[in-house]
Amino acid sequence: MSDTLLQKPSGKARDYEEQVFETGAGIEIKPLYEPADAGDFDVERDLGVPGEYPFTRGPYPGMYRERIWTRRFQVGFGSPQETNERIKYLHGQGANGFVITIDLPTSYGFDSDDPIGDGEVGVTGVPISTLDDMETLYDGFGPDAVSYALSIRPPVSSVTLAMLAAVAERKGVPFDKVIGTQQNDPFYQMSGGPLQTVTQFFPLDGTLRLCVDNIEFISKNMPRLNWMVTNGYNLRETGVNAIQDGAFTLGHAFDIFRRARERGLDIDLFPRRASFFLSCSIDFFEEIAKFRAMRRLYARTMREEFGATNPECWRLRFSVQSAGNTLTRQQPQVNVIRATVEAMAAVFGGAQSIHLCSYDEAHGLPTEESSRMALRTQQVIAYESGITKTVDPLGGSFYVESLTNDMETAIRKQLAEIDERGGMIACIREGWLERQINRERVRNQDDIDSGRRNLVGVNRFRIAPDEEIPIKTHKIQADVWGARRGEYLRQYRADRDPQAWADAMAHIDRAWKAGENMVPVLMNAVKNKVTMGECHEAMRQAQSWSFR
Amino acid sequence: MSMHKRILLAKMGLDCHDTGIVTVANILRNAGHEVVYLGLHNFADRVVKTALEEDVDAIGISFLSGQHMTQMRRLIEQMQREGLRVPVFCGGVIPEDDVQALKDMGVADVLLPGLLSDEVAHRVDRLIAREAA
Repeated sequence: MSDTLLQKPSGKARDYEEQVFETGAGIEIKPLYEPADAGDFDVERDLGVPGEYPFTRGPYPGMYRERIWTRRFQVGFGSPQETNERIKYLHGQGANGFVITIDLPTSYGFDSDDPIGDGEVGVTGVPISTLDDMETLYDGFGPDAVSYALSIRPPVSSVTLAMLAAVAERKGVPFDKVIGTQQNDPFYQMSGGPLQTVTQFFPLDGTLRLCVDNIEFISKNMPRLNWMVTNGYNLRETGVNAIQDGAFTLGHAFDIFRRARERGLDIDLFPRRASFFLSCSIDFFEEIAKFRAMRRLYARTMREEFGATNPECWRLRFSVQSAGNTLTRQQPQVNVIRATVEAMAAVFGGAQSIHLCSYDEAHGLPTEESSRMALRTQQVIAYESGITKTVDPLGGSFYVESLTNDMETAIRKQLAEIDERGGMIACIREGWLERQINRERVRNQDDIDSGRRNLVGVNRFRIAPDEEIPIKTHKIQADVWGARRGEYLRQYRADRDPQAWADAMAHIDRAWKAGENMVPVLMNAVKNKVTMGECHEAMRQAQSWSFR
Repeated sequence: MSMHKRILLAKMGLDCHDTGIVTVANILRNAGHEVVYLGLHNFADRVVKTALEEDVDAIGISFLSGQHMTQMRRLIEQMQREGLRVPVFCGGVIPEDDVQALKDMGVADVLLPGLLSDEVAHRVDRLIAREAA
């Protein structure tokens, strides 16, 4: 045996030589599925036809026969200029949908020259500190022509939404023509787990208010803009299982919907542009069943509990990113295979948009080469494999339908527990979610240590480090980017009208205290050259709140 | 000799990916160490101040989003200013090229993804023992 783990004196791995016949979330898998395994499954009631209630078979009638899922490019690095150049290049290659990643300082509402973001400016995404930055991102395109999905959450998404509205105004694009997405998920945008990251730099109640302000502004003014993506992805990446993923994600969306309804928004209007951002992990059939079950459960809840009568409000649409946490640093080329399995599960699950993690995920940020490989993987599935040529090809499979039922039941049970605890936001606030996450993390590590879960190249089939084939890694220039942005912002502040700026800052304070919708107020502010960081500071001060 | 040690763990900078460090904290506690976990969004002054107050035997910092070079440099400079001499290790998603640069900077070990619990515990024991020798 060459398995080095066998020679490790204290190694517990290989305690499980037997296969484990259960899904990742612990649903038992039988040796054979027969018609009776679907229980009281009713084809008309539980499966229906694609594009119709309860949407089990897909959100649209023709699915990929009519339109292959969007293969989104994730872009955002260095500066708005560099990011825009990259978008122009990719646009020329035929792409028209982009996920814009935002750097960490901006994600927390800090300007590029705030010392708190030293070494992080432009690293994981593009910095956006000013209205001009946003306009630069749209250089060469109108916000009615290219679709940008901004990975951003409130409070920051209120400012980016205000900037987007101001850019549309400057370019003469009517609000009702603006397309794209503002993720706008108040909790899960920041890697999911710890509440600390949501509450450290802005008061939570203020964040929730801005989330609903955004929904209100978009649903009244920008009917084509996706106003919220519930980010189940980052949540799943913390290590929770597929059942928890489904329940926590839906529970969160429903909680936000209730708040929007309390604001007086119409349940037959505002959910139309709601969508979800979900993870697709490695457990092939369980993930397919998860997507199908979530779609059905969402439809049933929206119609029966929320009383929506508009079919568009019953339809769950989702984009997928493959699970970064299933990828290994060891033998990174093998990750291409994992991403392929995950992409196929997303396709069988009926995803509207897919982004695959690059094989170098555990080494650093993706390179052009690894991003291209991730795209090519999708293109082979889309254009060569033929699995797209009929709608919901696994529909009616005894196993898949049985597992879809099991997932729906399990997610529903977990949702009932969440409701008993006062809803998902209450569960997050009181630390319940974090306890669930931490329990799963321990379990995951134990399962890998013991070999109960196989991880090729980590607890099985290892190779010596000198046998690894080297890969290119992404080079970051944080110091260069930070210095350049600092100089730009000094100039920007020097060139503005101090009185107009002060008036706009005072306006933020008054409007916050008066409970106004903040988006038009922030729009006025950014037009008067109030920066991202200053907008946040004014809103913090209006709440008599400080963290420094 | 007892291998029971006090170890300070923290995330530094704005990165909030904490699965790795929470898992490592659990591994080290199971291995018999006392872990002081500082949570997210720490900067060098707070880490060093806590390390001094808690009289720890080692400091471990976790990174995922590319801030490891800047933050580790800050940490080591602050330790020098405050005269704190304990081994520092870090871990997370760190490119191969940066591992040697971190070691040259004085980082005792760099724990990369894909280690089993025993390997993590063993590497931390070894780096603390090496410093004590």
